[in-house]
Amino acid sequence: MTNEFPAPDPVPGPVAPLRARRVVLPPARQRAARPRSVRAREWIRQNLVPSPAGVLLTLVSLSVLIAVLGVAAWFTFSYANWRVVTDNRWLLFAGGFPHDGEWRLWVAFGFVFTLVGASYGMWSSLGRRDVLFMVPAGLFAVFMLAHGDAALWSTLWFLISAALLAVAYAAFRRIPREHGPTRTLAVRALGPVLALSVPIVFLVLMAGGGADSDELSGYLLNLLLAPAGIVGGLFVGIPLAIGRASRLRTISWTCTVYIETVRGAPLIGWLFVALFILGDIIGGDLIVRTMVVLAVFTGAYMAEYIRGGLQALPRGQYEAGHAVGLPYWRTLQLIILPQALRISIPPIVGQAISLWKDTALISIILPLRELIGSSRSAIAQGEFITNRIEIYVFAALMFWIIAFIMSRVSQRIERSLGVGQR
Amino acid sequence: MSTEQAASPAAGAVTSTSDDMIIVEHIDKWFGDFQALDDVSLTIREHEIVVVLGPSGSGKSTFIRCLNRLEEHDSGRIFVDGIELNDDVRNLNAIRSEVGMVFQQFNLFPHLSVMSNITLGPQKVRRMSRRDAEKLAMQLLERVGIPEQAQKYPAQLSGGQQQRVAIARALAMQPKIMLFDEPTSALDPEMIKEVLDVMRELAESGMTMIVVTHEMGFAREVADRLVFFDEGAVVEQGTPTHFFENPQEERTKLFLSQIL
Ligand SMILES: Nc1ncnc2c1ncn2[C@@H]1O[C@H](COP(=O)(O)OP(=O)(O)O)[C@@H](O)[C@H]1O
Ligand SMILES: [Mg+2]
Repeated sequence: MTNEFPAPDPVPGPVAPLRARRVVLPPARQRAARPRSVRAREWIRQNLVPSPAGVLLTLVSLSVLIAVLGVAAWFTFSYANWRVVTDNRWLLFAGGFPHDGEWRLWVAFGFVFTLVGASYGMWSSLGRRDVLFMVPAGLFAVFMLAHGDAALWSTLWFLISAALLAVAYAAFRRIPREHGPTRTLAVRALGPVLALSVPIVFLVLMAGGGADSDELSGYLLNLLLAPAGIVGGLFVGIPLAIGRASRLRTISWTCTVYIETVRGAPLIGWLFVALFILGDIIGGDLIVRTMVVLAVFTGAYMAEYIRGGLQALPRGQYEAGHAVGLPYWRTLQLIILPQALRISIPPIVGQAISLWKDTALISIILPLRELIGSSRSAIAQGEFITNRIEIYVFAALMFWIIAFIMSRVSQRIERSLGVGQR
Repeated sequence: MSTEQAASPAAGAVTSTSDDMIIVEHIDKWFGDFQALDDVSLTIREHEIVVVLGPSGSGKSTFIRCLNRLEEHDSGRIFVDGIELNDDVRNLNAIRSEVGMVFQQFNLFPHLSVMSNITLGPQKVRRMSRRDAEKLAMQLLERVGIPEQAQKYPAQLSGGQQQRVAIARALAMQPKIMLFDEPTSALDPEMIKEVLDVMRELAESGMTMIVVTHEMGFAREVADRLVFFDEGAVVEQGTPTHFFENPQEERTKLFLSQIL
């Protein structure tokens, strides 16, 4: 501890008193108090050039980085013709969604933003980094969504949604963090709305003369299918996990067979099932069938992660629950599941991200045009036949944004729940 | 429920049979082909403090876990406060809310605050209002000497404090009987006393208690009766004086000579 500083100190004047103070200050503070030049040099020494081999590696990775950035910049600003994206943004985002129903999109947008704000206020807090990420993302969204004569209106709508987020955040921020009647009430109010958010959005978009289901396409469709699969997957996965761990053989075997069967075949295969088998036997709307398949598929994986969480809990937790008189199901609900779900959050979010990206497979198999499908339609129009790269780079970026947000949120949840530090 | 509680002390004063809080008749317990309990019979009166002794693996835990059916006995009968422990789930839930249990490893609920650990049972099982449950919890935390820890989480407390919370959690169900399975065995020496003090106070308040422990000072001072287990059977039982001054069985003498 005392020998942390290199002995030959280059800046004797200001450092000497610091040494005396080092004993009382916590480590983070001392470092902040050190002169900038020393800090920078130390940082470079530790992170970039620790040894001759390190110097070489640093140089190699720096040149690779520069080359990649250079190519990216050249592509973005010189080579690419982004009109393929900007001209087709309605097609890419909303696909065949009827123009006169645009207000429905905005209501749904505002609803989701409100939920995001409320959840952040309730369980987390917006830091500087979140805002730094949100502002450019918001500006980008305004640009993409503002189209034609309605540019002003869509900008306004967007700002309203952003304001809703802020208001919901501020309101839920005021709820005390400790357990108490207000918080319980807020959880009881917000929880069901979150759980039912996907059907609510569908209602907003389709009810009473809104879009027909074959008009749902583009990025919007990815944004509808993935949450349906994820939330549905949790609803399927939790009972499956409990069932697989059951002492009743018939139940645990049934669950095991289900889980292993689903996990034994790729998503593409199950999408074929949605198209043909379910289509011929049961019929019904293709989007609904697809959502069912996504939930059934994701549920099998979620079940395995949750089962891992269940098994990680010591038997004493069940026993303590029984000993205070809670019946089996109440013990499960109040004691076991909250802890098991907490443990399995990282793999569950991993599965959610993976499903989000897998929605890109859907238009390969099914006659549904999510973002990749709309991208193909955009190219197929002919005018932009040479701009395939641009549009797929753009699509990749759109997938990345959501995946990135999800992984950030997962880290946030893990930290605030203290996973692994109890 | 409340009439029963009000009636039992009066009834206990009249006849000796209704004084019996727990009746264990000839129970056996097998784990596969290993016999953990071998024809155990024991009757425990209301307000009695029974300390269970015995070498490791002798079936002490199995025995007291049978009393609230965390283990199911294979033959024989168990009555707790007049209700038979059998496959009837209603009986089971009735008994479990009459019998509090304190574990060696505390088994607090790590995702709940100390307060919620204690109020959970009263609220969910006894259907007590939140306000009443919290009032009760604060009284109990005062009683075990840590009211200032109410809003903390179990991981933030010392072992001794956690075990005292566990005792408060069990007491919150207002049980007639308390079972302790080596409550101080997982504690650092300096914390053992604080837990034993709470148990001593509880014994003085008239609680019926069955305590598995190796704390001989506690046994000598607090117990009405000692029961010595070996190889799944009750080998010898009697008052502390009988036990420490005049044990009859060779195995008891051997055990006591090792532990004292
Ligand atoms: N769930 C179980 N499965 C198999 N054997 C067990 C189980 N629980 C306890 N036993 C065995 O039963 C015997 C008695 O255990 P236990 O009641 O815990 O003893 P004690 O508490 O006196 O140390 C031990 O030999 C132990 O290995
Ligand atoms: Mg034991």
